[in-house]
Amino acid sequence: MNVKELADKLGLEIHAGKQAADRDILGGYTGDLLSDVMARINPGTAWMTIQTHQNIVAVAVLREAACISITGGHRPDRETVERAEKENMPVLLADDNSFDLCLKIADLKVL
Amino acid sequence: MKELSLHILDIAENSIGAKADFVRIAVDETVKEGYISIEIQDNGPGIQKEMIGSVADPFVTTRTERRIGMGISLFKAAAEQSCGAFDIESDEKKGTRVKAVFKKDHVDTAPVGDTAATIITLLAGNPGLDIRYEHATPENSFFLDTREIRQDLEGIDIDHPAVLEKIKELINDNIGSKR
Repeated sequence: MNVKELADKLGLEIHAGKQAADRDILGGYTGDLLSDVMARINPGTAWMTIQTHQNIVAVAVLREAACISITGGHRPDRETVERAEKENMPVLLADDNSFDLCLKIADLKVL
Repeated sequence: MKELSLHILDIAENSIGAKADFVRIAVDETVKEGYISIEIQDNGPGIQKEMIGSVADPFVTTRTERRIGMGISLFKAAAEQSCGAFDIESDEKKGTRVKAVFKKDHVDTAPVGDTAATIITLLAGNPGLDIRYEHATPENSFFLDTREIRQDLEGIDIDHPAVLEKIKELINDNIGSKR
């Protein structure tokens, strides 16, 4: 499943980085402590976080994540959106908290 | 980072990567009620004036093996997300000084953590490095300086396991190992 299909199925807005939404999702991770995420995620991860600072784009690009989903109704900083566009990193917005979003993804039985 | 001491390690490693051979690490829990100040200062070549405004931008780095640098970005974000503050000063003659202040009782402030492990790790990997480590708490004020320790070692290397173990004990005896 790619990022666009995931966003469509869950009704999530792709707020930035749409141009890279055909990227395949190979797994998922939830975490808000960036050093932990940086150490643990694998390429192709759909990453759920409530962090909104541009550092999340840096971590995602560095670790080749498939996309970032900002959960809990949080909204990214302006720099984050600009950076995600430039770096081709899809940023999805979810009103669900990370737990509920993960449950919905599990229901899709694709990962 | 789960501990502030890991940020210290990360920033000090930046200094070493920039060819500094002296790093001063000062942790002060007495500057202001409820706050912790952490300062890391080096004698490296300093950061160019054009770069200083963007050091906390993870997409600005002098790295050549990858184009994203996270150390200072994470340290600054950690301080700011817990109602603290961050500052960096650099001078080509004096080196670079990074300072962050953390609000102790903020729920997002990580514990200071194992600073002894940070000092030991730095020394073990960089035997040519000198460190002055200062740590003030309301109960105690403590410092160690490897330039002084070296004089007492009479030829034994500072990264000898027994020496490192002694340094670790000295720090933990003075500021406590559980922080």
